[in-house]
Amino acid sequence: MVENDIFKALADPTRRAIFEKLAAGRMNASALRDGLDISQPAMSQHLAVLRNAGLVREEREGRFMNYEVDPDGLALIARWLAKYRAWWPARIDALKALLKDMDQ
Amino acid sequence: MTDPTEETAADDLVLEYELDAPPSRVWRAISIPAFREQWLPDAALADGAPLPARGDGEIRYRLRDDEPPFLESVVTFQVRPNAEGGSTLRIIHALPAPWRATAVAANDDTPCLMRAA
Repeated sequence: MVENDIFKALADPTRRAIFEKLAAGRMNASALRDGLDISQPAMSQHLAVLRNAGLVREEREGRFMNYEVDPDGLALIARWLAKYRAWWPARIDALKALLKDMDQ
Repeated sequence: MTDPTEETAADDLVLEYELDAPPSRVWRAISIPAFREQWLPDAALADGAPLPARGDGEIRYRLRDDEPPFLESVVTFQVRPNAEGGSTLRIIHALPAPWRATAVAANDDTPCLMRAA
């Protein structure tokens, strides 16, 4: 499952919690911190990592910055995984053919 | 949703194949450019030369996706003998760096072990 791989990529439990919260809908950093035992600077750092990974994007709304799951990022990861998951078996078939030839 | 039995990085695509050929031949097919080109073409690689080895029995190449945004990624091939006189080939294909950053957190040079949550 591609979705499973995406979630597995979020190995840090705190970031995973943040990401899953955002999956429910966009919110600002202080709403994100509700229910999570995490300082404001730590939240900023986690959000920066998620953003740099292309999983989360931000949008300014008045004085606040809102965060949401970046649909483009997820689509890109899913596409990449799906592509190479299908690509490798074909490469291995070619490798097996070569190994047979090398045996001659 | 994490799997505690998973022994590689959370963000790797890991595939394992059993091959009839002995490890020495598989090794040549992977490491000698003229052979490698026949099943893993230069067009798929960022660089035909392998990356510096980190240990015995493995070889690493840098791949480049052939469509935008042409992301580069690292694939590691590990070859070991299997019980039938053939070889087990393990392919560890790491996610491109921009996404990998998410998974390996702050300690960015230890990508090989997943911290089971």
